[in-house]
Amino acid sequence: MAATATRSTGLGDPGRLGPVQRFRRANERLLYGTLGFVLVIVLWELAADLGLYRRSLLSSPSFIWNAAARDFGSGTIWPHLASSGAEYGLGFAAALALGIPLGLLIGMFRRVDHVVSLLLFGIYSTPKAAIAPLIILVAGIGLESKAIFVFLLAFFSVIVSTMAGVHAVAERHRDLARSFGASRWLEFRSVVLPTTVPFLLTGIRIASGRALVGVVVAEELAANQGIGYYIEFYGTFLDTSRVMLGVVILGLFGITSGELVRRLEKRFEVWRPEIH
Amino acid sequence: MSDSATATGSGLSASTGQGPVYRVIGPRVRRNRSPLGRWYRRNERAILGITGLVSFFALWQVGSMVGWIDPFFFSSPVDIVAAAVAEVQVPRFWDDVRYSVTEVTVGFIAALVLAVPLGLAIGWYRRVSFTFDPWLNFFNAVPRPALIPLVVLWVGLGIEMKMVIVFLGGFFSILLPTVEGVRTVEPQILDVSRSFRASNRRLFTSVIFPATVPFIATGVRLALGRLLIGVVIAELYAQTQGLGVLIGKAADSLQSDRMMFGILLFTLMGVITTEAAGRIERRMQRWRPSLNVAEEGN
Amino acid sequence: MDTGFALIARGVHMEYRDRKSDTSLVAIESMDLDVRAGEFVSLLGPSGCGKSTFLKIVNGLLKGTAGEIRLRAAGNGREDAMVFQDAALFPWYSVLDNVAYGLVCAGVPRKQARERAMPLIELVGLAGFADRYPYQLSGGMQQRANLARALAVDSEILLMDEPFASLDAQTREVMQAELLRIWNAAKKTVVFVTHQIDEAIYLSDRVVVMSARPGRILADIRIDLPRPRALDVKRRAEFTGYADQIWKLLTTHGVSVAAPTDAT
Repeated sequence: MAATATRSTGLGDPGRLGPVQRFRRANERLLYGTLGFVLVIVLWELAADLGLYRRSLLSSPSFIWNAAARDFGSGTIWPHLASSGAEYGLGFAAALALGIPLGLLIGMFRRVDHVVSLLLFGIYSTPKAAIAPLIILVAGIGLESKAIFVFLLAFFSVIVSTMAGVHAVAERHRDLARSFGASRWLEFRSVVLPTTVPFLLTGIRIASGRALVGVVVAEELAANQGIGYYIEFYGTFLDTSRVMLGVVILGLFGITSGELVRRLEKRFEVWRPEIH
Repeated sequence: MSDSATATGSGLSASTGQGPVYRVIGPRVRRNRSPLGRWYRRNERAILGITGLVSFFALWQVGSMVGWIDPFFFSSPVDIVAAAVAEVQVPRFWDDVRYSVTEVTVGFIAALVLAVPLGLAIGWYRRVSFTFDPWLNFFNAVPRPALIPLVVLWVGLGIEMKMVIVFLGGFFSILLPTVEGVRTVEPQILDVSRSFRASNRRLFTSVIFPATVPFIATGVRLALGRLLIGVVIAELYAQTQGLGVLIGKAADSLQSDRMMFGILLFTLMGVITTEAAGRIERRMQRWRPSLNVAEEGN
Repeated sequence: MDTGFALIARGVHMEYRDRKSDTSLVAIESMDLDVRAGEFVSLLGPSGCGKSTFLKIVNGLLKGTAGEIRLRAAGNGREDAMVFQDAALFPWYSVLDNVAYGLVCAGVPRKQARERAMPLIELVGLAGFADRYPYQLSGGMQQRANLARALAVDSEILLMDEPFASLDAQTREVMQAELLRIWNAAKKTVVFVTHQIDEAIYLSDRVVVMSARPGRILADIRIDLPRPRALDVKRRAEFTGYADQIWKLLTTHGVSVAAPTDAT
């Protein structure tokens, strides 16, 4: 038998690595990730400085940085951030406050579930952006209409995933509760609710992405404040640096919120009924 | 299986005279059901669902006639149908349909053709995937409407812009699950292949690729949803041609019946794509990974 | 020890009707069973013979088509507690909370339920694991917790539905011995369902042999091996005698079951 020739196929199977290798693997991830990040930035800047493309198309890291310094320093960007933040926060919070209880309730009562399901599915499948003009028509161009729009986007994600969680309750867990004579309320608290949590978290993660889209779409269509508006406004002036700045801010926000929820999801992954 | 509401026939009963008390568990008591009742029970889910849907439209209609719902904004089902009938007879409508369908088709195919090989390649070479991970995640997290002004700067407001937006949504939706698919391939399966000294290429075609197909199918499902969203947001922004424009222009001229028709068209498309995509995905998933493949709603 | 009857079943019949094809499937065909208090009775038979179904009817998870079951009434709480085949511990509760669950269902306040659960956790050999979560436990340990949970409710009758089926051979043997030790300490009435001949003989006072579907009782065999029984009793001549007897009984009725000696 030949000596162990470690042929690197480039595929990770962390399950069989020793501690040293795992340490190295994790560090590799960090190393190459940082490398990739830095490399792109550097190449990008170089390409711009060397005139390989017109700055107005894509700007460059240094210019974007300057724009950031200017607008953050002078404070002109804060009202936009606050505005978008408020729309996002209000809409999202309302979606959670309404979506979770409703989802749980509907999921618990089979008949209600059946009546409402087709409708919910239909609305859930509709690209909500198509409703944006309607919302603006009805609710104007202020904070409320944006918040309502964000709410709609997040709400359906939350309620659908909550209901999915209720449906996912393992039959054997239910049997167990009944076997020991648990009341309906106790069954809800001890079986349904915990099962729903991982599904709910997934729904929240999806909702957070959609809500962000909602903020930008609504602001692009009709607004005079907000990051979406900011991007569009400076877009018409060909101020690509500011446009890119807006993109970066949104991207960073998206990554952070997504990552936060993902961590939570991982923590509760053990609660999923099919993993046992 | 046992009914919910039946006589249980259980209780306490003492045996004759003195002696221990027993709890009695009796059999299920069946109610005799009429044929109608049986038919209902078998199809309950569909019946209730359709009732719900019909009631929704009925309430809408009544509401708009009575004044609970302002027909100025929301129109009414009857008016919408009338507007629909009128609309489909106008040639321009079909131009818009063709326009939107072209965007979607081109964008989707481009996304599929580019994302699958790229995803396989990136997933295969571990270090490459590490290198690109931050940027991929970043672009995936940026809401696409934020990229529209940029794209407009590059290619203007024409159909190309929409194709790009549609493409971007589809591209990332397929790319990320594909990469994850390659990286997730069961170590044991790999071991079997390796222990038979399979060449890398055989490893790839007989193990990696088939195992990745379910992930790609999930990606396609996600992509289809995002494609539709891309169409709407791009067209609403540009206001040149397409079904999204139908909605936008109708809104501007306060023709709520045409606007709602447009919205319902997208609902129809959304439902069809979601259902079709779901079916395709289910057929391609012979085994379900325990990981929750990233669901994005951008 | 109380020698009254803990369970009396008469004419228990379970039939499933398929509405579409209008056929019916008889799972249990008119079964009678008497179990004395403190007895250990096994229901032995091939898969699908209705033994689990019977247990579920007693427990109330299913309703029989006909027949009657009498359980000696408990003063308070339930008369029976079920140990499921699949441990089905709640992944979101610690071992302690899982074991206390039955008590909480019965209305005992959480704090007291936990206090009452602790000694049982020690009894089943999980001392020190009370704060762990199910995913941190091995299969055998999960089944111990499963058992503790059923014991905690302190009901007269313990219903056990192939609790060791998912364990590997060695763990299974260990658990069988453990079960007898615990049963000795807790003094309950046990109705134990299994499809393994050796297991049934080793554990029980009586082995009730059931046929394949439609399930009916083929024989009710008293096991006259002295207690306490060590695992090596399985190699005694009388043991093999019982095993052969049951094996013949099952095969004559066209049942294919794993032969006794290799059924461990």
